[in-house]
Amino acid sequence: MLAAVCTPATLADAIAILADDAGALLVGGGTTTVPTINRGTPFTRAVSLSRLRAPLCGVGFDGETVTIGALTPLAALEREPGLAFLHAALAAVGSPTLRSTATIGGNFFVGEPYGDVACALIALAATATVIGPEGEEIITAESLAADGLGRARILTALSFRLPPAGGWRFRKAARRALNAASIVTVAAVVTEAGGVVASARIALSGATRRPKRSPAAEAALIGRRLDAESAAAAGTAALADAEPFDDEVASAWYRARVLPVHVRRALVGA
Amino acid sequence: MRPSIVSLEVNGSHRDLLVPPGATLLAALRDGLGLTATRKGCETGSCGACTVLVDGDPVMSCLCLAEPLDGADVETLEGVATGAGDLHPIQQAFVDGFATQCGFCTPGMIMAAKALIARNADPSREDVVVAISGNVCRCTGYEAIIEAVLAAAAEMRAAAPSSRAA
Repeated sequence: MLAAVCTPATLADAIAILADDAGALLVGGGTTTVPTINRGTPFTRAVSLSRLRAPLCGVGFDGETVTIGALTPLAALEREPGLAFLHAALAAVGSPTLRSTATIGGNFFVGEPYGDVACALIALAATATVIGPEGEEIITAESLAADGLGRARILTALSFRLPPAGGWRFRKAARRALNAASIVTVAAVVTEAGGVVASARIALSGATRRPKRSPAAEAALIGRRLDAESAAAAGTAALADAEPFDDEVASAWYRARVLPVHVRRALVGA
Repeated sequence: MRPSIVSLEVNGSHRDLLVPPGATLLAALRDGLGLTATRKGCETGSCGACTVLVDGDPVMSCLCLAEPLDGADVETLEGVATGAGDLHPIQQAFVDGFATQCGFCTPGMIMAAKALIARNADPSREDVVVAISGNVCRCTGYEAIIEAVLAAAAEMRAAAPSSRAA
């Protein structure tokens, strides 16, 4: 049960509190942490980043490289013209009301099947800036999604290169069109040269334990024309990297059954 | 456990209130200020019954800790009526269009709609559907609510100063 809520004025103060107090719970947007508080939490102190919006929010463009503060609400990113390609991935999370407070960084710390934005960022080969007692570190979005962060480490920014024109793919299969957890989510950046696929980053969520890449699906595309046949091959190959599970949204069997279809549809639209 | 003082601008009035550690904005509004129009439905952000506006943005008040919101501008259903006994156009549209039955979802629906219309004075049906996609209604089947929001937006456009004939 919480005995205190603190709002440190600096990242260093926040890190010091988290490092010294094993009962401290970091709260960013709050959409996943506050429900745990509402239900009764073993944590005794909440450390809110609300006073750190200035350093941790915002979008910066440096040529083709985008850097986004980890505390930036998804709704703010939806209004960013330079991120129009990402709109479907952002809108896949909850409702506009939820997205007013849900943050881009926070999507790396939700459980499956809710990691749609993390999936997109993995496909974009995003990097994550993390600050902790030992200083600043840059890690891949992939490892962030897989391993999380240790105690007293705070995600401060995410950075990626804009995908090439026509190279971005995003598809989420869910039971409802809006505000629904994922059955399968697919994100991909595909580049072509000489009429064949030169590179591919394909990320999955919903049918995996954590958002992750599918090297098998990627390998099935490299050097081939991007068409229904190669997309189908990639979809089938993706099963090797999937970790479908049962939950209230779908069964593991169902997720495995439809994953190849949604990978194919994400890549070629049919 | 020591309570904290949180200062909020609520429906245009400055309010200082004591909140226990970890209290949500929802609890502060209902228990601290007696503003019970904002409903406690799920406390997980799934139903939208707790929707209010914070600094103009629609938020789930059950997902917001009160203490970090010190200084924020909060709008609840109690504050939307235009005064002198008149309902807000959105409220009136809900009444006229039979868009409320048990009424439990209504405050959240109206606040979500108010936020939509403030940002988009001429929403499409799809815009309304998206705007209320976080608000669950067990009674109406949503169509009457969607129609009421569209009707209210039209009414508000017609009444806007720029729409009046010179």
